[in-house]
Amino acid sequence: MTGRGGAADGAVVRAILAGDIERYAELVERYRDRYARYAARMLGSEDAAEDAVQDAFVRAFDQLAQCRDPDNFVGWFFLILRNRCFAERRKTRDTAPLEAAGMIAAADRPDGMVETTERRRALQRALLNLTAEQREVFVLKHVEGLSYDEIAERLRTSVPSLKMRMHRAYDRLREQLRRTED
Amino acid sequence: MKLGLGLIAGLLAISAAPVSLAAQQDIATRLAGRVPPDVAALVQQLAADAAARGLPMDPLIQKAIEGSAKGVPAERVATAVRTVAGQLDAAAAALRDGGLVPTDTAAIAAGAFALNAGLNDRNLTDLTRASRPPYSVATTLRVASTLAAMGVPAAQVVELVTQVIAAGEPAESVVNLPAQVQARVSHGQGMTPAQAAAGLARAAAARANPPGQNKPKPPHP
Amino acid sequence: MTDFHPDVKRLLDGEVSLADLPSELRAEGEEALRLVAAAADWARTPVTLSPALDARVMAAVRSRAAAPSLWRRLTEPREVRLRLRPWILAPALAAAAVLALLLVRPAPSPVASATVTVRFVLFAPDAQQVALAGTFNQWDVAATPLVRSNAPGVWTATLTLPAGQHEYAFVVDGARWVPDPAAPAVDDGFGRRNSVLTL
Repeated sequence: MTGRGGAADGAVVRAILAGDIERYAELVERYRDRYARYAARMLGSEDAAEDAVQDAFVRAFDQLAQCRDPDNFVGWFFLILRNRCFAERRKTRDTAPLEAAGMIAAADRPDGMVETTERRRALQRALLNLTAEQREVFVLKHVEGLSYDEIAERLRTSVPSLKMRMHRAYDRLREQLRRTED
Repeated sequence: MKLGLGLIAGLLAISAAPVSLAAQQDIATRLAGRVPPDVAALVQQLAADAAARGLPMDPLIQKAIEGSAKGVPAERVATAVRTVAGQLDAAAAALRDGGLVPTDTAAIAAGAFALNAGLNDRNLTDLTRASRPPYSVATTLRVASTLAAMGVPAAQVVELVTQVIAAGEPAESVVNLPAQVQARVSHGQGMTPAQAAAGLARAAAARANPPGQNKPKPPHP
Repeated sequence: MTDFHPDVKRLLDGEVSLADLPSELRAEGEEALRLVAAAADWARTPVTLSPALDARVMAAVRSRAAAPSLWRRLTEPREVRLRLRPWILAPALAAAAVLALLLVRPAPSPVASATVTVRFVLFAPDAQQVALAGTFNQWDVAATPLVRSNAPGVWTATLTLPAGQHEYAFVVDGARWVPDPAAPAVDDGFGRRNSVLTL
C-alpha cells in the first residue's frame, strides 16, 4: 500500500532498514491520524489514544526488520496499534475508562440537533461498556465505514465471527440504553 | 513448658547470630542517615536473624532504604521490611525442598523476589528442581519472576521455563524468555503474555519431544 | 427481552432496507437505525493528535539509533529487550512519558558476561530534572541523574550494571516516582510499583 504521494511505503521501509532512519518521519506523518479515532474510541480517551499511537510507532520502528510485507506497512502498523489498545484495555478495564466530560463537550454541536446531552452521555457509556472486541467491530464498520470483508482482512478473522460480535453489540447497546431510560 | 523453653532457646540462638562486628558496622553504615533510627534498629535485628539462618541480608537493607527514600512513614517501612524477611524465609524453605544448596543466598533472594512477583512456594520448588547445571537456580527464578511481572500466570511460568530446560536449550535461552514473550505479544493480534508463553512452551515441548519419536519427557529428579 | 430481531440486525448491517422488513418489524427497525446512527455520530467526532507527536516519535527513534549497531542488534534473537507496558501513564503523568529502555547484552566473554550496559531514555518535556533510583544505586535520588539529550524533552542515562535483577523507578523533579512503563513491574510494598530489570 502506498501513502498519499511520496515514495511507496515499501521503498521507505527499505531505506530506513538500510540506515536512513530520518525517513521514518514520512511514515509517521502519513499514518499518524489514520487510526487516531479508532484508538480514541477503543481506549475511551484522546490522551490515551495519543500515547497508544506514539507507542505503536516506536514499537513498529523497533520491529521494522520483522515487517514481512513492507508495502503493507500500514496494515502491519494497524495490528501493532490494535494490540497496544487491547493490552491497555486489559490493564485498565477495572477503572473508569472515561474522559467523559471532555468527550461529551467535544461532541456537542451548535445546531443542537438530534440528541440531548443526557442521551449522548448514555450512548457514550453504552459504547464504552461493550467489550473491546464488540466496540472494535462497531467502530470499524459504523464509524470508519469498512465492510465486513474489509474488517475481516484487516483483523485476519472471519466474517461470521465479526457478524456475531457486531450483533451482540447491537443487542447490548439497546439493552444499556433501555436500562438508562427506565 | 517445653514450648516455652524451645522459644527461649530459639531467641538465644538468634541473639548469638554469627554476624561479625564488621558486618554489623557495614549495615549500620549503609543505613546511617538513610532511615529513621527505629527502622535501622529493626533492620539490624532482622539482618542478624537472617544471617543466622543463612539468608541474605541485602534485600532487607534495600527495602528499608527504598521506603525511606520514597518518603514512606517509618511504620510502613518496618512492615515492608518484615514482609521481605518472611519472603526470604519462605523462599529458603521452598528452595530447600527443591534440593538447593542452602548457601546459595543469591537464589534465596531471587526466590523471595519471585514470591513478591506472584509465584508461590510450590512454583519455587518446581523451578529449583528443574534448574540443574548448567542452569542456575538464581537465574531461573529471576527469569520466572520477570515473566510473572509481565502478566504470565505462575503455573504457565513454571511450565515454560521447565520445558525450555527440558529441551536442553542453552542457558542463554532461559534468560531470553521474557524478550521472546514480549516479541510475541507485540506481534500477535491481541495476544496476551499468557498466550505467548503457552506458545513458547509448546514449541519447547516439541523440541524436547520431536514428533514420531515418542520420547518421554525427562522426569523431574 | 431486549435483543433485536435477526432481520433488524441484517438491516443494521446494510443487507436489507427498512422497506424489506415485514410491517410488524418496521418500528423496531427504525429504533435500531436511530440508535446505531446516534452512537456512530458520537463516535465519529474527529480526534486530533498533538502536532508534537511526530517529533516525539522521531526523538525516540533517533535515541535508539544513536548507536546504529545497537538498533540492529535489537532485532537479533540474542538480544535482551524488555518493552513491556509502554505508556501506561496516568494522564497526570503524561508529560513524563517514558519512551524506551534499551538493553544491550555485550558479546559473551568471561569478563563481559558479568555486566550489562543499559540505556534508559525518558521523554519528559516538562521536567526540570530526572533521576534514576534503584537497587543498583541504593535508591539514591541524587546518584544517577539523567541528562537532556539533543532531542527536545528526551532524557537519557547509560549505566553498566551487574548481571542480576534490579528494581528501579524514575524520579521526576525530585518528588514524583514513576515506574518505567517500558518494563515489567512489581508491587513495591508501599502501594507503588517498581520496575524490574533482569540482566
